[in-house]
Amino acid sequence: MLSHAREVVGQGVEAAQKLRDLVAFLGERPVERVKTGQTPHQVIHRQNKAVVRYFPPRGPSAGKAPVFISMPLINTWTVFDLLPGKSVVGALVDAGVPVYLLDWGRPGPEDRDVTLADLVDGLLPRAIDRSMRHARQQHGADALDALGYCVGGTFLAISLARQPGPVRRLALLAAPIDFHASGRLSAWADPDTFPLDDIVDGFGNFPRELMRQSFKALRPSGEAAKWKGLWDRFDSESFRELWAAMEQWNGDNVDFPGETYREYVRRCYFDNALIAGGWTTAGRPVDLGAARMPALALAADGDHICPPAAAHGLAAAWGGPVETRTLKGGHVGVCIGSALPKALLSWVAEGAVLRDEVQA
Amino acid sequence: MPQAPHDAAAFDFGKLSNDMYQQWEQAMTAWWDQVLESPEVLRASGQNLSVMARARRKYEEGMDQGLHQLHLPTREDLTRVARIATLLEERLLQVEDTLLQVKDQLDGMERATLQARVEAAETRLELRERLAELQARIDRLEGRGASVEAAPAEDGGKPAARKRGAPGKEA
Repeated sequence: MLSHAREVVGQGVEAAQKLRDLVAFLGERPVERVKTGQTPHQVIHRQNKAVVRYFPPRGPSAGKAPVFISMPLINTWTVFDLLPGKSVVGALVDAGVPVYLLDWGRPGPEDRDVTLADLVDGLLPRAIDRSMRHARQQHGADALDALGYCVGGTFLAISLARQPGPVRRLALLAAPIDFHASGRLSAWADPDTFPLDDIVDGFGNFPRELMRQSFKALRPSGEAAKWKGLWDRFDSESFRELWAAMEQWNGDNVDFPGETYREYVRRCYFDNALIAGGWTTAGRPVDLGAARMPALALAADGDHICPPAAAHGLAAAWGGPVETRTLKGGHVGVCIGSALPKALLSWVAEGAVLRDEVQA
Repeated sequence: MPQAPHDAAAFDFGKLSNDMYQQWEQAMTAWWDQVLESPEVLRASGQNLSVMARARRKYEEGMDQGLHQLHLPTREDLTRVARIATLLEERLLQVEDTLLQVKDQLDGMERATLQARVEAAETRLELRERLAELQARIDRLEGRGASVEAAPAEDGGKPAARKRGAPGKEA
């Protein structure tokens, strides 16, 4: 009985000690201090708030096509370069792949009239063009491979279907195409209950704070799971650093340009127009069926924002050959696991083989 | 002496807290799933958002009117200036696009000109070699002609069979 009591007290003391350490850790403000986006890079192009960041390869790059990456518009780009060893961009450049990353920046109130056509017909093709010019000069490249994540992938697919430019192959990561398979988000985006016009007319841009609260509400237990994860793995210094980096990124949403948001939600979530068709913007149809390049649709099995069915909807809409794969992880977690770099490096290697065959 | 019963099931604070957490999470997720997908909740939430957005708009309009009466720049004024700067940047980028296209065309023309010059130089070189070859043959023919002209004395004064410049099989 006494030893039992001693054991209980011992565990209680351990827990109290751990709690004290945790409070001390949080007192050091790790979320503000952690440094993300450390992979060396330079800005090669700017338009409005958007920039193209060039990450030079750190390994032999012969035969590997540079990769152009379109990031989501609702968060910052650093989720692809959180920490050394937890970086999608880092894994690519270490394998000798030159990377051009489109960071959409932070739209301000003056960007509320920016339309979806401005992005898919103007900003994106221009960013791809400048990346191609740089890659030709630096690496003698004659084409790019393109990767889009989340809504950045959806916009990239729309843009490439309208003007493929120098892009030879496309990969989408957790990018919704069949929006009516988007789980709870598609249930929320009901035209009868979601006041889209009032929001855009009232707020201008879709506010980042509202975006953050919406994502939190998508998975209400997420907040508790976050703290439990820290408690369970508090002894690992690398985990503590990763936790702080994720917290920093999660809390750093950006506003979504109002008119783009209006068209995006109306056409994609209300009408599911990428699958159903009938969408015209800037006088031209939005038709993924017009695309001819091969595409890869990557999804994460635990994704509650873009479930695999929504991402793999590309196979039903895309005009070129489509391969679908499902990786382990959630919508964001997939970016920090080891499965994504492996899948992307395998995709890059397939591209090199394809290129050799074409040249032969 | 019998063994203490607690030895068989030692107390584990970690396991207990895990079990408690999982039970709580399951119950809470189930409850939230019902709440967050209930049409009534979605309708109320939509109405709430709508009211917030309209109130925000009214507030902005009120602020703008107040600042306007004080002859101070409003948010709308500043936004307009920033938008003009963005449009100017877009125009500059369009000029840059055009210049880059012209540069591409010039590069293409330069490549074509270079290629043509290389081809012309190669042709000239070929012609020069051909001329040299012809000159050598002519020289050989002249040498043969001279030997033929020298021969009549030995052949009894017959004229030469071929004259310089006349077409012959050897040419």
